Amino acid sequence: MDFSGFSEEIYLSFAISILLLLLVLESPWSNSASWLPLDFCLPTLPERRPALMGDSEVEPGSGQHQKLCFLGGCSGESLSESEASQSGSSGDESNSYRALPTQRTMMAWTTVMVKKIKVMALNNEGVEESDSSEDEVAPRNTIGDVPLEWYKDETHIGYDLAGKKIKKKERQDKLDSFLASADDSKNWLKVYDEYNDEEVEVTRQELKLVRRLLKGKAPHADFDPYASYVDWFKWDDAKHPLSNAPEPKRRFIPSKWESKKVVKLVRAIRLGLIKFDKPKEEQRFYPLWGDDSSSAEKANHLAYIPAPKPKLPGHEESYNPSLEYIPTQEEINSYQLMYDEDRPKFIPKRYTSLRSIPAYDNGVKDVFERCLDLYLCPRVRKKRINIDPESLKPKLPSRKDLKPYPVTCYLEYKGHKDAVMSISVEASGQWIASGSLDGTVRIWEVETGRCLRVWDIGEAVKSVAWNPLNELPVLAVSAGRDVLLLNTGFGDDEEQKKIRELLRVETPQAPDDSDNKGPVVSWLQDDKHDGIRLRHFKTVSSVEWHRKGDYFSTVMPADILLPLSKKHTQRIPFKLHGLPVSAVFHPTRSIFFVSTKKNVRVYDLWQQKFIKKLETGLREVSCIAVHPGGDNVIVGSREGKLCWFDMDLSSQPYRILKCHPKDLTNVAFHRSYPLFASCSEDCTAYVFHGTVYSDLNQNPLIVPLEILRGHTSSNGRGESFSTPSSYSLCWHLISFFCYGVMDCKFHPRQPWLFTAGADSVIKLYCH
Amino acid sequence: MVKHYRPPGKKKEGNAARYITRSQAVKHLQVTLPLFRRLCILKGVFPREPKKKMKGNHHTYYHVKDIAFLQHEPLLEIFRDKRAYEKKIKKAESKKNPDLANRLRTRIPTYKLDRIIRERYPKFVDALRDLDDCLTMVHLFATLPALEREKLEVERIHNCRRLSHEWQAYISRSHKLRKVFISVKGIYYQHVEIIFVDGLYIFVLYVLFKAEVEGQKVTWLTPHALQQVLPDDDVDFNVMLTFVEVYETLLTFVNYHLYHSINVKYPPILDPGLEALAADLYALSRYFDASSRTPVVDPHDPSIFGSEQVETQQKGTPPDESELRLAQLQHQLPSNEPGALMRLVEDVTDEDEEDEDTVECKKLFKDLKLFLSREVPRESLLFVIPAFGGVVSWEGEGAPFKEADQSITHQIVDRPTQGHIFLSREYIQPQWVYDCVNARIILPTESYMVGRVPPPHLSPFVDNDAEGYVPEYAETIKRLQSAARNEVLPLPGIGKEDLEDPQKLLVEGIIDRAEANEAAERKRKMILEQNRYLDELKMEVIGTTTSDDKQSISKEMEAREASDPDIQRIVQDHANMSKVVMSRNKRKLYEAMEIGKKRKQSHVDLLKERKRKIAAAQKSVES
Repeated sequence: MDFSGFSEEIYLSFAISILLLLLVLESPWSNSASWLPLDFCLPTLPERRPALMGDSEVEPGSGQHQKLCFLGGCSGESLSESEASQSGSSGDESNSYRALPTQRTMMAWTTVMVKKIKVMALNNEGVEESDSSEDEVAPRNTIGDVPLEWYKDETHIGYDLAGKKIKKKERQDKLDSFLASADDSKNWLKVYDEYNDEEVEVTRQELKLVRRLLKGKAPHADFDPYASYVDWFKWDDAKHPLSNAPEPKRRFIPSKWESKKVVKLVRAIRLGLIKFDKPKEEQRFYPLWGDDSSSAEKANHLAYIPAPKPKLPGHEESYNPSLEYIPTQEEINSYQLMYDEDRPKFIPKRYTSLRSIPAYDNGVKDVFERCLDLYLCPRVRKKRINIDPESLKPKLPSRKDLKPYPVTCYLEYKGHKDAVMSISVEASGQWIASGSLDGTVRIWEVETGRCLRVWDIGEAVKSVAWNPLNELPVLAVSAGRDVLLLNTGFGDDEEQKKIRELLRVETPQAPDDSDNKGPVVSWLQDDKHDGIRLRHFKTVSSVEWHRKGDYFSTVMPADILLPLSKKHTQRIPFKLHGLPVSAVFHPTRSIFFVSTKKNVRVYDLWQQKFIKKLETGLREVSCIAVHPGGDNVIVGSREGKLCWFDMDLSSQPYRILKCHPKDLTNVAFHRSYPLFASCSEDCTAYVFHGTVYSDLNQNPLIVPLEILRGHTSSNGRGESFSTPSSYSLCWHLISFFCYGVMDCKFHPRQPWLFTAGADSVIKLYCH
Repeated sequence: MVKHYRPPGKKKEGNAARYITRSQAVKHLQVTLPLFRRLCILKGVFPREPKKKMKGNHHTYYHVKDIAFLQHEPLLEIFRDKRAYEKKIKKAESKKNPDLANRLRTRIPTYKLDRIIRERYPKFVDALRDLDDCLTMVHLFATLPALEREKLEVERIHNCRRLSHEWQAYISRSHKLRKVFISVKGIYYQHVEIIFVDGLYIFVLYVLFKAEVEGQKVTWLTPHALQQVLPDDDVDFNVMLTFVEVYETLLTFVNYHLYHSINVKYPPILDPGLEALAADLYALSRYFDASSRTPVVDPHDPSIFGSEQVETQQKGTPPDESELRLAQLQHQLPSNEPGALMRLVEDVTDEDEEDEDTVECKKLFKDLKLFLSREVPRESLLFVIPAFGGVVSWEGEGAPFKEADQSITHQIVDRPTQGHIFLSREYIQPQWVYDCVNARIILPTESYMVGRVPPPHLSPFVDNDAEGYVPEYAETIKRLQSAARNEVLPLPGIGKEDLEDPQKLLVEGIIDRAEANEAAERKRKMILEQNRYLDELKMEVIGTTTSDDKQSISKEMEAREASDPDIQRIVQDHANMSKVVMSRNKRKLYEAMEIGKKRKQSHVDLLKERKRKIAAAQKSVES
């Protein structure tokens, strides 16, 4: 028998079987089969078995015998159980048990085992009650094979036959147990049996067993693990072997499958599929870019967009920044209130020496995030404009070369008690007329600022207009639903005579030319102001004269009328899309511009047809003015934009100027100088230079020249001014909405600008 | 058929045909997402931003050509093979066949990335352009600990370390380091690589032109020599390792190229003794010396041997004598090594190819001999000081010279007090070196003495004038710089060879530059004066117009007082005037720029405010 073939695991299983043996010894009355299912089982046991079997496969005879030997030994011992002698301990056991745990652990392990064995032995008695022998002691415990912890908190461990509780014993406390161990010399032999709640004394026999186990020997002295092999089978007279089968052929020839496998391997080696100890490849270095001259090759893939370089650190990232870069504690605290994305990522800190810099927490994380950026962020080539913002501004011609233009406030005309809504300059430029919300129309001398004449209309004056003819100094005034034609009283006697004649109306003029509708306008003689009163059926917002002074137009929210100075009234014969806002005559031809809220429509009055529509693109048009040449129109809007239309160019604006933050109230062209102006509710007036070239290829030149300030935003009624009771609420409202500069007009000959403010002042700006 | 006819849903055009989303790409390539990412990183493929995103904003889009580029990549096939092998290994292992598993493991397909590097960077300049991230990453990995859990292998880290040292050695050797900045995050270095395009030879009347491409600035960050903080979960090391894989290959070839450009063999073979002492940089510099000593020097240069003999016999006459001595000190070449100083000849021949800047940098620490105490960051200083022509040694084995050396001029110390003091040298804090480097002058050492709080360390990357705020110390440095430049005026006692010296020319250039600066300064002042005068004029004009209004003198005075905002308004008006005529787009752009400007200004104001407060606090403490 080849013992050297035994591996350590066999010895382990050895030890286990010894334990089993021990159990068998402990309870001789029971057969071993009833033992095995107990909870005492080592996990190595089932695993090691196959190894044993494998061994036995190689040499079938010997394994079998070994097993037999065990069993034999076991049964033999059980027979001689009563024998207590342990004299014959076998010699070289220490060698064979070397794989077992050390002595110490073994000891602990054994004590536990002994306890367990005891308990189980006792247990067994209970379980095996059926085939009980006479000296059996019934277990105290009657709860059965259930976990003891279920009874942990109970005072009993089951019930006896009488149905009374079997009480648990009082547990000894430490002191008692110590005293007991001191008093009783045999106390160390006692083991507490938890199941039955009693103490059991280990007998001498058991003690011996344990001792042998502790030494790592077989529990029984008589057991010889290396007994010589006895072949129980009698071979002497046997005629036939155990098996009569002939020896198979495969025992005599080389394995086919092995050779096949070998052939396969050989083939694989020959083909180079299997390479033995392939040398590890070293990285080869060579000039990858050559001499750089040959690398003019063009990549055939998409253009590479290099990743933006990480931002270089500023002063604040220094380990020792200037003190001013370090935020104060309050500032750091205030960062907490910020949104996450606004919060500064890096808070500067100062270390006074290089050695005191701590490790940076986010070093790896920063690099990782950069990696993520590199391969996950979409890249796009963006043009970054790295220019001085000033270079964006267009180069304007020097303003010195564009002089003269109004620059400074030269005169103020004071006298109105409420916002001045409109002004008009007389053709000679000597006088101006102004209409105000306080219901007066005044005429001022331009050069002195003297108020020459005052008419009290009684209603808020929306618009005033001088007749453009020098010899016909008539003033058209719109107030409420009326338009008044007033005789200013200028001019010599002949002229006055003419005017008086003109301003006389035969009162019964009821049957109008246009009989399809009712009288749109009724011509009345106004005796109080010595003029004509034209009563409209709606409020009139503005009045405009034709250049010849013979016609004038009035604008109502509803429609446009065209009264003749021959006391004829004509509604314009075109269809307007939307409400008219303002209207002007062409300065040289019989063309008429009407602006609705969105567009400007151009009509030929002579041929009575629609010419074109100017598309402003504005939200709400407020005013319109025509260049004295007649080909260019400017349109102001309520959103503060000013559109310049070149009529020859297109119907779209040639240029849109966004100059005012608030509504534009009026725009004006100078009659002779290349100037135009806009005034707005933001209390400013802009003066622009606008040259129109006779060469059609050249676009008009527009240069902003000056911002004129001076008007205040309060509307003219000061605290001292009490509103006359005659004013209706409606006028309050109107005046309430009057801000800033309400009107602007150029002087006909000088580069001067008059502005009428809602603060009841008229200003004259001179160059 | 009409050219543009297509059945609905059959073929796409425009952005829809040109871009695909990531998941489409993954499906198209039949790879897993991690593999796709890996491929993208290796190949340098990145998502692009289509003008119109047909699948919505929450997708990433790749160009179809990029994906096709990936599809035709041989690496893809290798990765598939690898995967197959991994499966085989797994199978063998689960069948308990370790032999097979091991054999398979040795035969897993490997790949090399040099072709990809060449593809991604067709020219050396391209490689240099993308080197920033590469260097930062490699330097970071050189300081990381090997971690099995994160698959950080020891070899990889050693390789990174080696590469970073090789790179630093080259920079130091070629004196191309320009700026150094110690931040809280680590130390930033910037170097300028000037590339001569050799391909552009133009023969016109037998004249050879050499075109110079602008210097490529490479900036990288090295962490402080401290234990790195490894984040727990929010860092995916797989991604980083893929990047490192590319970067290692890239840096290897870049190093190769650079080493060969100065006639040194690559990969360097280092003295194992020095390597063991963790003095890799020094070992590399020794290697440089050794390799330049041998054959690569121009054979027709007659002064190779002559200069050495001169050096050994008499000291003084040859032009490169000081350099010879300097090198001898720096490297402490053992006397038994014959011809140890021959490498210098090469340096001399190189001289005319170097630009002004390099020459300036090379001379910065020329006459200084520095010694590092053991507590200062040795690696960084050993890199920086030789890069600016200084001689440096450190405390420890293998150092070129010991602390007791009497010729040491500066000792760099970073401790509260210095015990034993040699009177012949100055004891300074390490920041002095970095500040000198950034200012390009030798700064006075008083404020950097041991135990003092050094002056603020300023970033060399900031253009103070553009930023609008100049820290106080920057002004001090500027003054010192201009003072130093005035001093460098040619002294009468210097011999003829100095006149031929390129450095002399450089000095002249500097003077010219200084003069130009002064002139510019004067001009600016004049303009300022003019503006002020104009403003005053305006004030007067407005004063008179208001007084025109027949108002009393007192009112006029008031008006004068009130005219201050008026002037501002006028200036504002003038600014606004041309804004009126601007087109809408330009106006919007202008306004955006104004906002940016305002933000910048507010930052500057904040700094000024803080500074004022600090000054006030100091004053109150003093009084």
